[in-house]
Amino acid sequence: MSEEENPAAEPAPVQDVQGDGRWMSQHNRFVQECKDAEPEVLFVGDSMIQLMQQREVWRELFSPLHALNFGIGGDTTCSVLWRLQNGELENIRPRVVVLWVGTNNHEHTAEQVAGGILAIVRLLHTHLPKAKIIVLGLLPRGEFPNPLRDKNLAVNNFLRASLPRVGPVQFLDVSGGFVHSDGTISCRDMFDFLHLTASAYSKIATPLHELLLQLLEETPQERRASLV
Amino acid sequence: MSSGDSNPAATPIPCEDVQGDGRWMSMHNRFVSDSKGKEPDVLFVGDSLVQLLHEFEVWRKLFSPLHTLNFGIGGDATQHVLWRLSNGELDHISPKVVVVWVGTNNHGHTPEQICGGIMAIIDVINQHLSQAHILVLGVLPRGKSPNPLRERNKRVNTLVQDKLASVCYASFLDVDPGFVHSDGSISHQDLYDYLHLTPQGKIFLKQWF
Repeated sequence: MSEEENPAAEPAPVQDVQGDGRWMSQHNRFVQECKDAEPEVLFVGDSMIQLMQQREVWRELFSPLHALNFGIGGDTTCSVLWRLQNGELENIRPRVVVLWVGTNNHEHTAEQVAGGILAIVRLLHTHLPKAKIIVLGLLPRGEFPNPLRDKNLAVNNFLRASLPRVGPVQFLDVSGGFVHSDGTISCRDMFDFLHLTASAYSKIATPLHELLLQLLEETPQERRASLV
Repeated sequence: MSSGDSNPAATPIPCEDVQGDGRWMSMHNRFVSDSKGKEPDVLFVGDSLVQLLHEFEVWRKLFSPLHTLNFGIGGDATQHVLWRLSNGELDHISPKVVVVWVGTNNHGHTPEQICGGIMAIIDVINQHLSQAHILVLGVLPRGKSPNPLRERNKRVNTLVQDKLASVCYASFLDVDPGFVHSDGSISHQDLYDYLHLTPQGKIFLKQWF
């Protein structure tokens, strides 16, 4: 599916329907952060990324890696694409980008959502040709089996198949263990059957952190290279 | 504002499952089941501001020791909370205090309607739990810069505070420690998305409880 035909790959800002302009305020703050910061790692996506920064695990594991968090709750692939094209990649040269988005793409099919994620990966490659990218798989949601679980699984399967062809991208599936043998998800892992509790964030942070360390070791810092 | 049916904010209605994973009903059902099995002294009810309290250290330190239940659901407006309380969440429990924190998600409603919704909630609670004291928390300011929702929320608080002055079983508590700075801005260190509390922002609740 070409990006021109895929609505999930069309960059679009979020409309301020509520009246307090919060989405644009958050975007503008990220653009400003790009002017001042020199992150080694950039996290970008929806509330799964945003809420990580409100947890202990951010302070313990990711902050020390000089990470920036550009997550906005409710974001789809369209709004993340728009943000990245409109200033959130200016002046920064992170060595690794962590991308987690797709669960809010309610208007799109699984194939379209995967296509949207691929479009973001291609954009990142264009702006940051030396960066490694980690795409996190979508998590299951809802207390019981439901169509959104199937859809998120399908997105992950599309990604598994197509990401290897796009370049230095790692697909990381951290969904293991959330769905129990009776098909339920526990509120101890997802307090509203969508967002992660502190203990669940700690669980998924471990493999993510390990992969980050590995990729950071493999990717030379541009600063060092220019001194030689 | 007297008649419930002319006020959408005071007309009980469950949340429609538009996304397709039934999460709202799952949460409601869990709360109903909790109220059958547990004996809380304190009950918190409301939207995401209530729900998220449970997810941070502040809950374990301050509220858990008080045998507290948390019936918050993100996105809920007054009419949704009203439905939940009228459909099982207050059955079988007799907390001494019920904390109500809701109103910021009532988009499209006037401050008068939102106040009416909150008063309807207090009514339902008092009908079920005649011994409980109800604490209504003021709706917090939101948005990075001055905007109509801040005005709306301020007005709601004024109206509610007014109405509660003549209600003996309920009181109003303003928990805003001054999130709005002198230049009119709100910091993301207090409200990370200019709506929800950071763990640091939650610390301000300590002084009230």
